[in-house]
Formats: sequence, structure tokens, C-alpha cells
Amino acid sequence: MDETVISGRKIYKIFKLGEERVRALNGVSLDVKKGEFVAIVGTSGSGKSTLLNMLAGLDRPTKGEVIIGGNHIEKMSEDQLVRFRREHVGFIFQAYDLLPQLDAIENVALPLSFRGMGKKERTAQAVKLLKQVGLEKYMKHRPTEMSGGQQQRVGIARALVVKPEIIFADEPTGNLDTKTTIEVLHMLQEVVHGKGNTLVMVTHDRHLAGYADRRIHIVDGEVVLED
Amino acid sequence: MRFADKAGMAWSSLLRRKLRTMLTVLGVMIGVASIVTMMGLAEGLNRQSLEMIEQFGGLRTIEVREGSGNAAGTTGGTADPTQYKLSDSTMQTILQMEHVESVYPTLEFKAIIQSGPYVLDIFGGQAMPLEVLKDMKWEFAEGGWPEEGDDLQFVFGNLVIEDFADARGNVIYWNTGKVVNVDMMKSKMFTILDTDAYEAAKSNNNQGASTDTAASSTDTRAAEAGADASGDTKAAAPPKKYTIPTAGVLAGELDDYNEYSWYTYCDMDALIKTYKKAFKGKAIPGQPVRKNGKPYNELFYSKLNVIVDEIENVADLQKEIGDMGYQTASNSEWIAQQREQSRSQQAMLGGIGAVSLLVAAIGIANTMMMSIYERTKEIGVMKVIGCGLKDIQQLFLIEAGMIGFAGGLTGLALSLLVCFIINRVTGSTTAVIPYWMYGTSIVFAILVSMLAGFAPSRRAMSLSALEAIRSN
Repeated sequence: MDETVISGRKIYKIFKLGEERVRALNGVSLDVKKGEFVAIVGTSGSGKSTLLNMLAGLDRPTKGEVIIGGNHIEKMSEDQLVRFRREHVGFIFQAYDLLPQLDAIENVALPLSFRGMGKKERTAQAVKLLKQVGLEKYMKHRPTEMSGGQQQRVGIARALVVKPEIIFADEPTGNLDTKTTIEVLHMLQEVVHGKGNTLVMVTHDRHLAGYADRRIHIVDGEVVLED
Repeated sequence: MRFADKAGMAWSSLLRRKLRTMLTVLGVMIGVASIVTMMGLAEGLNRQSLEMIEQFGGLRTIEVREGSGNAAGTTGGTADPTQYKLSDSTMQTILQMEHVESVYPTLEFKAIIQSGPYVLDIFGGQAMPLEVLKDMKWEFAEGGWPEEGDDLQFVFGNLVIEDFADARGNVIYWNTGKVVNVDMMKSKMFTILDTDAYEAAKSNNNQGASTDTAASSTDTRAAEAGADASGDTKAAAPPKKYTIPTAGVLAGELDDYNEYSWYTYCDMDALIKTYKKAFKGKAIPGQPVRKNGKPYNELFYSKLNVIVDEIENVADLQKEIGDMGYQTASNSEWIAQQREQSRSQQAMLGGIGAVSLLVAAIGIANTMMMSIYERTKEIGVMKVIGCGLKDIQQLFLIEAGMIGFAGGLTGLALSLLVCFIINRVTGSTTAVIPYWMYGTSIVFAILVSMLAGFAPSRRAMSLSALEAIRSN
């Protein structure tokens, strides 16, 4: 279980704001092991979301290496990044970001359709996962007909359906009330510990970070503490 | 990503904004309808003018007359004087040529018909085989075609009656606007077949008479009783008169004009039989004679009507027959000119319609752009969870194509309706939408729409996933 899935080496990300150069990430190095639930904790503007984008292959670092499952993310083209995400990564968003015109099953099955999977097969898989997240009764509901917690559970199912090596979650409970937040976090814990998935979660809330196995604290683009 | 999935997604995003989709489709519909209707109008006008040419003697007919030969034909030295005349063998030769459907001969004849004080000068009367005449399927106002083996009978076009002149040769109708009081079927009419003798007798009398009035009275007398015109010279013997019955008058009012209106027709066999009796031992009128003044054994026709299989082949065949040394005439140049004209008409009318489709295309581009701005986040999410860049572009192109298809289909339906109404109102086929335009207009609408959607789709593809998921 000690296999390293994500390895970041001296990651720098520099944004240009007019004449000024902003160091969003200033030489961050970190490792995430398989089957780990890692929280990246930091205040707004600390660079935690930028780090997540690097690790998830959404953005390329200005300098440094990001190696996920042996693939060098920083060397990939836009097309390759899309393919990489399609094959290896699952995402959970803060605002759930389900497609409003699709029902729960179709939303969960969507990433599979990007892979070119047939409708029958992907629907079967989507149904299976929706059952796992406890949404048997909401299979045919559209996002607007569901509560925030239900929508996020659809979001989790959508991330899991592709059997990803790593799941990334960007403030997954940011839009939820306390009770639902705890429900969702328990579910995420179960996903990691029950199924052996790897999960990287970004949050600004130290309390929520407590649900993770390990926390990486970021301040001003640098790792200040791991516990 | 499978095409069916992409099409399904495009369809559902169109349904999400029903009103906007409908308005965009409406734009394409009006654009397509205006182009198709305009083209239909141009096509209708084209067909009407082709129909008019048809009335003037056929679209596929070449008229062949005897020729004077060409350089190649006269090098033989002892050229046969009948080489370029139209005999039965000429007819057979032409019939063997490619693209020739049928050939029928015409013998043109002259005659003078007198009825009361009026004189009808027939020149270019058309004697044809009876079955050819019957094949024309012309309608009769009175009577009908004679039967095979009947004695010579005439059939008159509906406007022949306007050709009656007074004794001085003034055509009554043109001078007075009134039709002479002659019933072509029932009035007593005398026919002079030997028009040369008639002319000779007439000029002879004119010379002999001192005044115009005298001439005209003598003339009338001469006409009524040929033997009475006892001229000083025996050379101008008065021509013999015949009573040739009228078999029928062809249908049409006095202002209806078509290909038969001005002509007098008769069965060629019957005419020749009558001629042979009337001109025993001499060449019958219009036929050539040998150097010794004797007639040829065979009959030479005035013209051959060659029916060509397709309009497109008329010009080529006409040239080919012309190169053989005959004179040819057809409507092919007129048709070509007409087609050229209708092409430019179609281009002009289609161009007017195209402006509205252009406006519709801009509308599509605008709608797609709006849709992309609206769905920036969604596009970003799709990219993040692994939707290929090409797939995203195609999603939008398919959406645009669907708008085009719907607009094309409804536009076609609308233009069919409009054409139907136009035709109803005008009472003739003013607008015709040919079948090929059905498919073409829809395909065209789809292509234009996809072209309009291309730039927006590129934009959707190149949206940064990161920027997109940040936007709200």
C-alpha cells in the first residue's frame, strides 16, 4: 500500500498580473500514496487550488515535475491532458456542476460516454454507482429536482464511475449545510477506506480536513506543515 | 464519443432553450423559403417560356430544307442536281442518324381559294402524311381529319380566315379588323391549283385593261369563269378551278395563336393524286424538272421535320445535317438563349433570397455564441471530466446542423405552400419547385448553418477548462 501515486517535485507556478509576477506556488514538493485520503488545507489565495489543478492535470506548472502514475503531466499537450483525465482521474466539484439537461443516470454515465462506451453498458454502471451512494429513488431526477447533498452524491458517483486511480475534490462540501457536509465526508472516507481509492481534497476548513488521513497545509504557495 | 451520444446531447441542449432555438430555426426557415421560392419562380418562368417555344414549333424539331451543297459536294464535276434535294432516301439517311427519333416529310403547296368577292392566297400550305397529321392531336373547332384514301380535302388553321383579301389583294382583316363573311366549312369556295397560270392570267389582264377598275372587274370575271377571260395571247390560259371540300377547321379563337393557326393542311397522298390528274405529263407545281423539261420519277419534299430524342442533342444534330449540305433550322439557339436568360434570372432571384439566408446564418452564429457564453461552465466541466476537444467542437457543429435541418425542412414546406398559393392566385404554373431542389435546399441549409456554427465551435473547443470551471 506504500505505492506513490502522485509525486510533485519543486512545483512553481507563476502568474503574470500586468507587470507583476505572482508566485502562486513556490517550490512545492509532495507525495500521495495509493489508498490515501489527503487534504490540502489553506486559506483563500494560499495556492491550494492551483496546486490541485497541477496535480489533476488541469494546468501545467511553470517549473517542476508532476508525476501521476508514472506520467509526466508537465510535458503533456492539451489533448493528452484531456485523455489523461479521461483515463485516470475523477473530479468532484464544489458546485457539483452536473449538466442540468441530463438526469442522474445520464450525468453519472457522461464520463463513460466520452470514452465511447455504449449506452446500455454505461447506464448499467451508472445505476450501480447511484445505488452505492444511496440515490435509488432519484435515478431519473434532474439536478434541479434534487437537494445539494443529493446532487453532490451524484457528483461523487460521476467521479467514481470511471474507476479512477485518483479522485480530486475541490471544496466538495463548500455549498452544503453542516449535516449534509458530514454525510458527504463520511461517504468520501468510505470511498477511500472501503474501496481503496486515492482522494485528494482541497479545503479551507481545518475541521473538515480532520476527516482526512493526512493534511498538507499551504501558506503563500509553500507547504508549511504536514500532519 | 459516439456520434449518437453527441447528437443526443446536442438535441437536449437545443430543447433546453426552446424559444431561442425556435427563433433561430425561424430565421433559417425564412431564409431557405425565400431562396427556394425565388428559384421556383425563376424555374416556373423558364418553363413557361419553353412552353411558348413549344407552341412555336417544338423544342426537339429540326426543319431540314434542300441545300445548295458545300465545297466538298461540288468537286465531283458532274454533280447530281438532285443531290441536296429531299427525297425518300434522304429521309432514310437522316432516320439512321444518332439521336433521331422520327422524320416526317412536308410538301408545301400553293393554291388560290375564291369565295364570293374574296380571295385567299395560300402559299406554304402543308401537305403531310395523314398519320403524321393525326398524330399531332390537334383539336378541331369543326370537322376533323379526312380519312385515308379520301379525295383532297383541306383543314384550315383557326386564323387562316384572317388572310382573305379583296380582289385587289388588300387583306380585309388587317384593314378593317373585321373577319370576312365566309364560312370555311359551308361557303362555296373555288380552288385554283395552278397558281402560276392564275398569276399570268391576272398580269395579262392588267396589261390589257386601261383602268384599274376595269382590271379589277375583268379580274373578277376571269376568276369566276376562267374561260371567259379571252386574252389576246394564248400563253396565259385561264387556270382550271376545283371545288375542294373543307374537312375541318382547327380550334382556337381569333386571338389564339399557336403553331397551326396560320396554316392550311392536307393529306399529302391526296394532294399528289389530285396534282397528277391536274398536271398530266407535266411536273407538278414546286417539283424540279430535268434539263429536258421532264419531271423526275421520284417526289422531292419541301422540308423534312426531324424529331430529336433530347433537347440537348438538337444543336449537334442540326450541325451534322447542315454539314451534309442541307439547310437546317431549329429553335435550339432560341432555347439556348432562353436558358441563358433563365439561368441569370434564377441567379438574380436566388441571390435576393440568399441575402435572407445570410442574415439567418448570422443569427445562427449569434445564437451559438450566446449558447457558448451561457454554457462556459458546463463546457469546462465536460473538459475536466474528459470530453475530447474534437467532441466539444462537434457537439456545437451538430447543434448548428440540427438548426439548419429543421430550418431547411420547414423552409421547404413553407416555400411549397407559397408556390401553391402563387399558382392558385395566378391560375397558372408560375412557380415550380423541381424535385432536386427538395434535397438540395435541406443539405444547403445544413451546410450554411454548420459554417455559421464553425467559429463558435472553435471557440468552445479552445476555452480553457480551468477558466471555464472558475466562471459562474
